[in-house]
Formats: sequence, structure tokens, C-alpha cells
Amino acid sequence: MLKMHNIRKSFRTDTIETHALRDFNLEVSEGEFVSVTGPSGSGKTTFLNIAGLLETPTGGQYLLDGQDVSGLNDRERSRLRNEKIGFIFQGFNLIPDLNLFDNIDVPLRYRGFNAKERKKRIEKSLEQVGLAARAKHLPAQLSGGQQQRVAIARALAGEPRFLLADEPTGNLDSLMARQVMELLEFINEWGTTIVMVTHDPDLARRAHRNIQIVDGQVSDLHQNALGNEAATA
Amino acid sequence: MFGYYVSLALRSLRGTPVLSALMVAAIAVGVGASMTTLTLNYMMSQNALQHKDDRLYAVQLDSWAPEKAYQNDTQMPWELTYRDAQALLRSDIPSRQVAMHRWGATVSQENSELRPFTAQIRVTTRDFFALFDIPFIYGNTWHKSSDQNPTREVVLSKKTNEKLFNGENSVGRSINLNGEPFTVVGVIEHWNPTPKVYDLNNGAFKNSEEIYMPFGLHRQLQIYSWGNLNGWKSEDISNYEDLLNSHYVWVQYWVELDNEKKKHDYENFLAAYIETQKTKGYFPRPLKFGLTRPSEWLVVNEVLSDDNRILGWLSLAFLLVCVVNAVALLLAKFLRKAPEAGVRRALGASRKAIFSQHLIESGCIGLIGGVMGILLTLLGLSLIRTLQMGRLDQIASMDWVMMLAAIGLAILASLLAGIYPAWRISNTNPSVYLKTQ
Repeated sequence: MLKMHNIRKSFRTDTIETHALRDFNLEVSEGEFVSVTGPSGSGKTTFLNIAGLLETPTGGQYLLDGQDVSGLNDRERSRLRNEKIGFIFQGFNLIPDLNLFDNIDVPLRYRGFNAKERKKRIEKSLEQVGLAARAKHLPAQLSGGQQQRVAIARALAGEPRFLLADEPTGNLDSLMARQVMELLEFINEWGTTIVMVTHDPDLARRAHRNIQIVDGQVSDLHQNALGNEAATA
Repeated sequence: MFGYYVSLALRSLRGTPVLSALMVAAIAVGVGASMTTLTLNYMMSQNALQHKDDRLYAVQLDSWAPEKAYQNDTQMPWELTYRDAQALLRSDIPSRQVAMHRWGATVSQENSELRPFTAQIRVTTRDFFALFDIPFIYGNTWHKSSDQNPTREVVLSKKTNEKLFNGENSVGRSINLNGEPFTVVGVIEHWNPTPKVYDLNNGAFKNSEEIYMPFGLHRQLQIYSWGNLNGWKSEDISNYEDLLNSHYVWVQYWVELDNEKKKHDYENFLAAYIETQKTKGYFPRPLKFGLTRPSEWLVVNEVLSDDNRILGWLSLAFLLVCVVNAVALLLAKFLRKAPEAGVRRALGASRKAIFSQHLIESGCIGLIGGVMGILLTLLGLSLIRTLQMGRLDQIASMDWVMMLAAIGLAILASLLAGIYPAWRISNTNPSVYLKTQ
């Protein structure tokens, strides 16, 4: 599903060049649930931005679903992002003056679906996260956990094959965090590949596989117990 | 996506009412100021005879003083002497020709309660109506013989006919001019070209005359022009006949020449006429005459003056200042929405999509600004009408073309103002806002 080979990303100012990722190598198979951990500033978010086609690497090769994305222009990268990738952010990133229906509508608009198809998908995704009755509510009228569920519904509406989650439970209390994590696991069981950045070791352990990034490189790869059980099942 | 972007734009405008109002006001004030000036310039540039611009010519003959030109170094007199006009009328080359001037008289009616009033009159040859394409409601023009022989007939404007006869068919009925009876032979439709291209010497923006009467009445009524009467040498004029035979220029002259051959023939005719007159001691200057189309006539008479043009450019410069203000406001507004743009980029919007969305928002501001600008323009024109006390009523008004132009100008200005802010927001790195939101 995702294959990164010798990916490099550096940021240059007038006086300093910072290497956010160096010789970064990673493969994620279809249907996997991978957690990404590491200290602050290690390059987790840079990895996620490159994986989500929001940033381009300075060097190396990135294959998404078998397609080399390095030569794509902005329009092609945007289309790929819209069709294959779903995003879940720590801060939910819902558009505050759009109601839930219109928030979920955003990626579907860029996909070019007609009104009937969009409505069907929005209602279905809201139902999947248990918020069908709140379609006309504004994000501010919901709790944090509910907002994150809306964000998940928005990511799911386009039926992406690849979900990128950047600390999806970081702004939630433990009960809400558990609910969101269960929802992500449920989504993964349907076949969606998930890569989740987290600081929480308990959540990281619930993924099939955990990778640790230190100083812009993958320093450790290990199968989690849950992943092993799933693999042997 | 256009409809989606428009709905987002309207939502965005509602979301920031104060900032949006400031932007709309910036565009509206700029458009209002520039369109007020441009409307005046546009109306001053109109050519009511455009449809006959390839056939009609104002005639000028350089009968002026030997030592200097009429105006500047090259300009010929705008009008002809009565003697020259009578001579030109004998040519059969033009399909139509008009000798004319402005006059006025007191109008009254026998057995009427209507109080006598002073009317603007055009003393003209019969071709006036056909040459300038003026349709008749009732009757027709006078007979050709009336151009030379005194016939007490008149043609009324529609408004005058309504005033005197309540709009009824007045052909055959009588009115008094300065106490003398005249018979109505025709009533024309409303006709009021602005600028008054056929007579730019007596106020380019005055209304057309209320009554028209035959050129052949000069001697009988001893008609003195109510327009310009210019001469280049002192002459002993002791009676009306002296005036008619003098060097004074006061008769406007137009011809209709159907094709280039006729024009060429007429030019030869004019040259021959001047040469003949030179042998008699007239036309002391080098041989020169003019045949000027209506569109050129408006230009050489400077109906739209250099001052008006400069004002037009200044008003556009003011609009530019307003656009620069709108750029700053749009930049502030759009960059405040950068996090939302970042989210949209993450969800699949391309840079072009973000650019289009924000440019359309600018266009919506322009559209609203344009409507407000029209209201301000109407207010400005109304102020001009009030200050000019009726002198610019004809041109200080806005037609549909200028209203559409105002909307177009406003949208264009707002799109120009929106290009940089929209480009900035579409090129920001979305990941910066996704992490910090």
C-alpha cells in the first residue's frame, strides 16, 4: 500500500539546514494498522505529511498503492489525496461555520460526485459514527469526541483505502479516546489501511505494528502482540 | 463547482460582516466615483447620427480673414454666410441638404387659455427631417418651394403639439408666432439627440427645438439668428438685406452624400464655388473647405474636452486606490481563513481549486460593490444635475449600458484585487495549519 525508500526531507533557512527525515524506509501493507511513535521533533509529522501528499520529499522514492508519486503535479497529487487518503487530525480540523453535513460534503465536492451520491455517502458515514441525527449541527455544538467522530466520518465518506491519523485521541479524555480508537479498529477491520501517529504507548500497542522514529529515521520495527494474534488468527 | 464556490463566498461574507462591508464599500466608492465621470464622458461621446455617419457631412468654407484663421491656425468658421448657404442650396449633388440656424419667438393661440410662451425655433430647409431621420407622427414637412419663398408653415415637436393641441392631429390648424399666424403642416416624434450633433455651436447639450419653420421666411420676417453671428471685418449694415449679403457667418450647413463619387463631385463643386467667389473678391484665404462626418464633428468641436478626459483618468486612478485598499482587506480576510484552506487542501482541493474559490469570493464582493456603486453613481449624477440646474440633465443620467459597465468594472476591479490574496492562500503550505489549528 505504502512504500518509502530512502526518503529525505530537509528544511533550509539562510543559515541552517534541518534534516527532518534521513534515509527513511518503510513499507505498509494493505489492511495493516501501523502506529508511529517517537519523541517530539523526530519527524513523525513530516513523515505523515509526505505520506499524505501534503509535502514533497527532498529525495527518495515514495510509492502509494504502487504508483510513484514523485513526478505528479499538484492537481494529480490532490486527486490522489482525495480518492485514496483520509485524514484524521488531533485538532479535528472541522470547518467551524459549516454544519456536519457540509463538513463531510467537502471532500466529496472535490471528488465530483453528484448531489444524490454525496447525500447518500454523507448519511451513511454519519450513521457509521453514530451521529446521523446531528447532521445539521455546527461543530461547536458537539463534544470533542463527537467532533473527532465527525472528522472520521468525513475521512470515511470518500471510502479511502488509506487513513492517516495524527494523534487522533490527543485532545480527548480517556473514555472518548477509547471510543475513537475502537472506531478506528473497526474501520481497519473493514479493510482500510491505517497509519496512526501517537504519543500514547497503550494506543500504539493496539496497532498491528509499531514503528518508532528517532532523528528522522525508523529506529525500531516490531509486531505488536495484537498484530501477531491477528496474523495467526 | 462554481455554484458551490458562490455559496461558500456568500457564507464567508456573512461570517465577517464588518470586513466584508468595508471591502464592498471600497469597491462601491471607487466604482461610484469613476462611473459618475465615465457616464458623463460616455454620454458626451454619443453620436445620435452614427447610423448615417458614412453619408452625412457638416460643410465648412474658409471665408475668413486673409491674415488669420478663424480659430487656432487652421480652423475654419463653423458656419457659413447666408449668401454662401443660398449658393450651395442650388447644387443638386447632395441627395439632401440642410441650411439652418436657431431662432425663437413668442407662441400664442387664438381663443386659447394657454398663456403665450417663448419657443426655441429652428429655421431650416425642408430636408432637415429626412436628412436627420426624424419620423413624423402627423403630416409632413413643407414643400420645397418654401425653402426659397415665404410660406407661413411650421412643424411642431411632439411636446409642443401636446402643449398646444393636447397631442391631437394638429395638421391644418393654426398657431401664432410673434402674433403672426402659421399653419401646422406636421408633427414629429420625440427627437432629442444628445449631444446635439447637428448644432454644437449653441450648446451641445441643449434640448432640440420646439418648432421648425421654412428657411424661405428670412426676408419676410427679418429673422436674426439666436445663435452665433461672427464676422472678421467691420461692415456697414443698415438693413436686413445688408446682413444677408454680409461676411457674417451664422448658417449651419449639412449635406447627405450617398457615396464616395458624390462626395468627390461635391468637393469639386465646393472648390469651383470658392474659386469663382475669389474672382469676386470673396474668400481671401487659401482655398479650403471641410466636409466632416458627425463622429468627427463631435471630436473637432471638442464636445468631450481634454478636461473631461483627464477627469475620467483621475477617476480611474481613484478606483485603483480603492482596489489597492481592497487588496489589503482581502489579504487580511483570506489569510485569516488559511487554516480552512489547509483543511480543504488535505481533503483533496488543488491549489487551483483554492485559488478559484477565493477569486470567486472576490468577484461576489465586486458584484455587490457594483450594485452599490450604481446607487452611488445615480446619487452623483443627481447631484450634478442639481448643481448644474438643468444644463446637464440630458447627459447626467445612466443607461443600461453604463449600469452593466459599472457591474463589469466592479467585478473586474474586485477580481484584480483578489488575484494576489487568492494566489497567496492557494500557495500556503497546508500542513502548517493542519498541525496548529
